Amino acid sequence: MNEIFEPKIVAFVCTYCTYAGADLAGTSRLKYAPNVRIVRLPCTGRISPMFILKALQKGADGVLISGCHPGDCHFTHGNYHARRRWMVFRALLEFTGIPSERVKYSWISAAEGGKFADLMNSITEDIRKLGPFDQYNALIKETEAPATF
Amino acid sequence: MTIQETYKARVKKLLASGTVKMVIGYKPGTTADRRRPHFIRTPEEADQLVLDSACITNLSGYLLSEGLLSDEKAVAIFLKPDGIRSINILAAEAQLNSEQILILGFDSNDNQVTALEGEKVEEFTTLIESIKEQAPEALKNPLLEQIEGMTPKERFAFWQGEFSRCIKCYACRQACPMCYCRRCIVDCNQPQWVNTSSHTLGNFEWNIVRAFHLSGRCVGCGNCDRACPVNIPLRLINAKMAQEVLGAFDHFSGMSHTQEPVLASFKKDDSETFIL
Amino acid sequence: MTRILQSDKLDNCVARWREAGLTVIGPVKNESSSSYAAVEKAAEFDFSLIMPDRSIKELFFPQTEPMLHYTIKKQRIDTSDFTPPPEKRIIFGARPCDASGLAIDDPLFGWDYKDNFWFQRRDTTVIVTIACTKADDFCMCTSLKLAPDSTKGSDVLLRPLQNNKGWQVEELTDRGRDAFNEIADLLQDGSGPAAPTAVVAEKFNLDACVAWLQNPENFESTFWREISMRCIGCASCTFLCPTCHCFDFQDEGDTYSGIRRKNWDSCSFALFTMHTSGHNPRATQSARWRQRIMHKFNYFPGKFNVNSCSGCGRCSRQCPVDMGITETLQAISTLPS
Repeated sequence: MNEIFEPKIVAFVCTYCTYAGADLAGTSRLKYAPNVRIVRLPCTGRISPMFILKALQKGADGVLISGCHPGDCHFTHGNYHARRRWMVFRALLEFTGIPSERVKYSWISAAEGGKFADLMNSITEDIRKLGPFDQYNALIKETEAPATF
Repeated sequence: MTIQETYKARVKKLLASGTVKMVIGYKPGTTADRRRPHFIRTPEEADQLVLDSACITNLSGYLLSEGLLSDEKAVAIFLKPDGIRSINILAAEAQLNSEQILILGFDSNDNQVTALEGEKVEEFTTLIESIKEQAPEALKNPLLEQIEGMTPKERFAFWQGEFSRCIKCYACRQACPMCYCRRCIVDCNQPQWVNTSSHTLGNFEWNIVRAFHLSGRCVGCGNCDRACPVNIPLRLINAKMAQEVLGAFDHFSGMSHTQEPVLASFKKDDSETFIL
Repeated sequence: MTRILQSDKLDNCVARWREAGLTVIGPVKNESSSSYAAVEKAAEFDFSLIMPDRSIKELFFPQTEPMLHYTIKKQRIDTSDFTPPPEKRIIFGARPCDASGLAIDDPLFGWDYKDNFWFQRRDTTVIVTIACTKADDFCMCTSLKLAPDSTKGSDVLLRPLQNNKGWQVEELTDRGRDAFNEIADLLQDGSGPAAPTAVVAEKFNLDACVAWLQNPENFESTFWREISMRCIGCASCTFLCPTCHCFDFQDEGDTYSGIRRKNWDSCSFALFTMHTSGHNPRATQSARWRQRIMHKFNYFPGKFNVNSCSGCGRCSRQCPVDMGITETLQAISTLPS
């Protein structure tokens, strides 16, 4: 049982900035933790809180949401709308006991390949320290179990 | 004359003169402490009208009953300040034309019912502004603070316990004037974002989605909380979200019929301390 | 010879049943809600409740239950069935309306296909009912030709003693006798005077209502729209009802594997009858409320010869807008058939 816990992390990113940043990290041969699965979307404005819930439902130990810096949005203000939404959703998750350490938000531009790689590494390490999301996993397990009564 | 009698006379006059086609109010319920929604279309039907401190349901959701407002005729409705705020939100979200609504305002404190001056929703702006001023205090709740003081693990366990009782009857949704979607997100299945099954995970997801969709929109009328047959303290989550949007964006729901919905607007300098 | 179970022996009974491998279930109240739940000690029971908020139905027909696990492979689909839990149970302190509700649903779950999820639980559960000595404004069993001491659906009926210190035991079935033989030495011979059963006023004339409902002309009556105007279309009445039994299948999982679940569904939801095309044959809430009443008092008895209502009154008691079967049938009673 000495196996190191490898967290599963889902990253929802916008195609114009963070995805391009991830691409840059790749073409620059930057090495980063392979624990992150990237889902590319047109804009952070398209990232519905439903996606976060879905990722958790499917057993993600952490979620990252990332897009263009304020002012840089390809659609001019998609990320401003997203920012408000996150602010509220983050508070809600915290209030219901889903720790904010597991759901992170960032701005990463197309030029920030280094920031992308560093963030993937630090998030992976942070969540590795937190361990699996046992409380949520128990709920998921319950859905697979036969009725008890 | 008692307020009830004054309003009864007014309702009869409104209907007899044809000023409104219907008045939505309250009538006696099964037991002494219950009131039922009452749809009054003739002056005679107004005889059953009751207005007292047991009239607590926010009736504004009935205004969106299919076909009711489509003929553009006026409808009068008994509303407390929270109900008046919901009219503002429904108007701001283009669900109704506030010109069509005649408000019969009342409030109750310490079992005493008082009348509120005004007919049109704009006339209550000063009242709502004073409610906003009191909101930071009014939204406080000892249980809410207790939950905030818990560790995330304890909070999760607390809500897990509450949500495990949920039977997904959607009474919270149906009772809420703000939940007017023709097809709720949980009833959409392509894709199916959250589980429709009523296991604890599905219940957890449903309640998060419900609370999120009401963030910055809930007026705290308590319809959901009272409707819940298993008494999940839904009002706590709604109050928490109201505190959050008030603190973060100085947004208090239902200020006016032209107020921009908080999650459909933004400021360039919105707080973003949490973003890496 | 009647036997008596004294309240102070109940804890021993619970222990004895548990030793015999039975899960002991009964009315339990916590701060916010009440239901039939498993207990370890008799002190956890709350017999002062008129009835628990949630009906007994969920112990036999849970709100969500996995049916099968599926895996889709290239050329075939593998499935493995879930089975209902085999544990033996005893429900102590059921209400007569709840027990009757189970008996009402038996023919429904067994008329063509025998639903093992229901019947296995029915076969392994002993139902010990306590006759009601209290009723509230919503109770209406007498209007449904049942009573606060109906034996329908019960294995044992207990009548509270006048001194409130125990119950007269009336064993009704072999299953009930077996369970009480287990604790025979804890029972006493004799028959103290039983407390009077609750007085539940008859609220409507059922036969007149049924006649009105059976008249096809009344199907399109404006009555339905009037009576259901304030219905908000939630499912609390149907989900709390001990006899409402509609369910939906839901596949949870992804393209390759998942679990098929049986979930409660309700005729009061707009989605209940929605066609894929977008057409909804029950387009309005009044049509949905009519369906609920018609189903309970016209279609169901037409097929199974019994009304699908046991008169618990939960539909009215818990309705957010104070509607319910009682009000509707009371109104129908006054209409010319």
